Amino acid sequence: MIRRKHTLAAAVVVSAALALTACGGEAPASDLSSVKIMAPFLEAQPPTADGAVQKKLEELTGKDVNITWTPNASYEDKMNITLASSEIPHVLVVQGKTPGFVKNAEAGAFWDLTDKLNDYPNLKTTFPEVQQNASVNGKVYGVYRGRNPIRAAVMFRQDWLDKLGLKAPETTEDLYKVAKAFTEQDPDGNGQNDTYGITIPKWGALGTNSPYDLIETWYGAGNRWTERDGKLVPSFETDEFLEANRFIKKMVDEKLINPDFATFDGTKWNEPFFNGKGGIIVDVDSRVSVLINLFKQANPNDFENKVGFVGSLKGPDGELHAHPTDGYSGFLAIPKSSVKTEADLKNVLSFLDKLNSKEVAVLMNNGIEGVNFTLEEGLAATIKPETPEGKVVNTDIKSFAQLGTNVTGNNFYPVKQASEYEQKVFDDRVAVMAEDLKSAVYNPAAAFVSPTYVAKGAQLDNIVADARIKYLAGQTDEQGLKDAIKLWNTSGGDKVKEEINKLWQENKK
Amino acid sequence: MTAPVVEAKAPGRAATKPPAPARRRGFAVHFAHYKWLYLLLLPGVLYFAIFRYGPMYGVSIAFKDYVPFLGVNGSPWVGVQHFQDFFANPDFPRLLGNTLILAFLNLGIAFPLTIVLALLLNEVRLSVLKRTVQTLVYIPHFLSWTIVASLSFLLFALDIGPLFQFVNGLFGTNVDILSDPNWFRPLIVLQEIWKNTGWGTIIFLAALATVDQDQYEAAIIDGAGRFRRVWHITLPGIRSTIIVMLILAIGQMLNTGFEQIYLMTNALNRSVADVFDTYVYFVGITQGAYSYSTAVGLFKSLVGIVLIFGTNWLSKRFNQSGLF
Repeated sequence: MIRRKHTLAAAVVVSAALALTACGGEAPASDLSSVKIMAPFLEAQPPTADGAVQKKLEELTGKDVNITWTPNASYEDKMNITLASSEIPHVLVVQGKTPGFVKNAEAGAFWDLTDKLNDYPNLKTTFPEVQQNASVNGKVYGVYRGRNPIRAAVMFRQDWLDKLGLKAPETTEDLYKVAKAFTEQDPDGNGQNDTYGITIPKWGALGTNSPYDLIETWYGAGNRWTERDGKLVPSFETDEFLEANRFIKKMVDEKLINPDFATFDGTKWNEPFFNGKGGIIVDVDSRVSVLINLFKQANPNDFENKVGFVGSLKGPDGELHAHPTDGYSGFLAIPKSSVKTEADLKNVLSFLDKLNSKEVAVLMNNGIEGVNFTLEEGLAATIKPETPEGKVVNTDIKSFAQLGTNVTGNNFYPVKQASEYEQKVFDDRVAVMAEDLKSAVYNPAAAFVSPTYVAKGAQLDNIVADARIKYLAGQTDEQGLKDAIKLWNTSGGDKVKEEINKLWQENKK
Repeated sequence: MTAPVVEAKAPGRAATKPPAPARRRGFAVHFAHYKWLYLLLLPGVLYFAIFRYGPMYGVSIAFKDYVPFLGVNGSPWVGVQHFQDFFANPDFPRLLGNTLILAFLNLGIAFPLTIVLALLLNEVRLSVLKRTVQTLVYIPHFLSWTIVASLSFLLFALDIGPLFQFVNGLFGTNVDILSDPNWFRPLIVLQEIWKNTGWGTIIFLAALATVDQDQYEAAIIDGAGRFRRVWHITLPGIRSTIIVMLILAIGQMLNTGFEQIYLMTNALNRSVADVFDTYVYFVGITQGAYSYSTAVGLFKSLVGIVLIFGTNWLSKRFNQSGLF
């Protein structure tokens, strides 16, 4: 009796096992008719699931799309919590190679897509160097979200420049001259000494495309890392770094820069420019449009020729070292715990392939033609006045653009600017940035992740970043800055250099 | 001597609870008798078990190399590695120093000021005035640190802030108070006083209301002045409240207030501004070192517990009632 029971149980187990293996082969087990995505949103409200954009997206990709929109500010925390939970999405927007991401990736949380992306026409990147930048030591863990690599610009009050009879700066020395004239020659003509040249907000961290970083690159210090005598060294160990900071300090000492640069609130950055206190901003070129809009809102009849801009500036060596970003802003990664088999992975990748097709790119970046925009000579013109439907689409696409990868370049339509003047400025910007791209100084170590840097890079970099600000503010002298760089090395920086150089040598072949 | 007392007590207690002969069975019977009262206790116990004690399980990541993908259980154990790293870290003495200095400044200045303010309010005889002042000093407590920090930035703004001009005029200096390392601690303590002193008086005012009024009359007849009365009657009258509040304040001492300090920190004053709380945020959240920062937080909690028990023990030694 007992024996028979055992045989019965064994038979059940065996047949169940057989059934399971049979399923394993085709892997329809996980239901991929609905794709779950986790993405950040930067607007006040995330799009709703029954919005027109999502409906259209589902129609174009042939999948039910289930997007968990997560506020941008707490995205990294939520991402880590999600990865530790049982509700893991199929596609996860990762915002950058943060230590948290790298640890997860190295523990095997994501599919390695290095050899897989080339099979998909819309995922095969036309910018392999950017894909390399976005990789973790050569391993591609996601489809990167492309961004314009060249964004650095110097913006200045064009009306002040015209009044003082100056030319737009071309070199860092010109920048000094313009800043000095803006400070001392009463560019607003009110007879008072109440203006200064450059406004810099509280923004100290290294390698974050801050005004300091840009000027250092222009001086030839490289971009985060630079090759010297056959080795990679951090930019701040070059002589050019010290020269660039001497230059900035000279401007601080001569009061050409706002004296509260260490504490000035970055969200108010445009105010001194608009109010006629500080005439120059060194930042990304998209701020040009923001500034023009400020003037336009204040006076729609007189806003032209208030804002001028140039791209990267030539350094003292007479060469142009344009400052590029790494060319991406995070990537779309595919977690292994939700997408379990190669077959499922293919399924998800073809979904991402469709997501990067021209029609979906247009949907996510421009919207729906005839609802919120019309096509005019290859430009997307926003329909004005906004209809209620158009308004929803216009708001939703700001969030959906977060899912855009554009690894084959932007294949949606450029937005038609509101006026002829703004269109001209926009076209100028595109042209200037394209020109600067030819002289871009890339970060040679962008792809490399050193274990020591993951463990304590942020603390290490703070040593130098704080010393830089202290030096500029006069709290410490140049020796103090050099000592801080020495401290960076002895606190673990030596090891970072060693690891980065090893990875660099290995990947050179 | 003790034995008869116990014996005497036991029957006495048994008499109040109808069926309770032997001590062993005592609790079961006691429980059966009061089961509805215990049921009332249940939600509270559950709350603490689920929301307070349950999550403490996560503290185990201080002894592991936590990777979110692997989860709390799946991450490998590393023993006390993170604690060793922390104590060997050159940041450790600086963090400990900054935290303790700020904590003692807050305790040494802000805490007595609360009592002084309560005493002052207590002496106000005009009821309308007293109530108005009380309400006014409570209000800052309800403003968030973000607002307090914004106000400070406006008031102390370089060259244009009214308090910037006042302070620098007073000392004949010209320093940027917001970024000068020497001004960081005074600024923090000042904010703390401004925000929380009024709120802290509530409990002391309640205690002051219980002081026996006859004693004052007696003291007045004996010719005691205001200060004598405060010193010999009021303060001894609220002594136990002060002790309890002090123990509680010391337990909170190392919580130097993440928001406040984080908002007031900048590159120029970071050397004096970094405390355990900001360090845990910086290393743990922005750098993804969850295990390491948990270890730091755990260490901070341990110091807090030692301080509470230490103060409690001291207060008992000095013949005062402790908290527990």
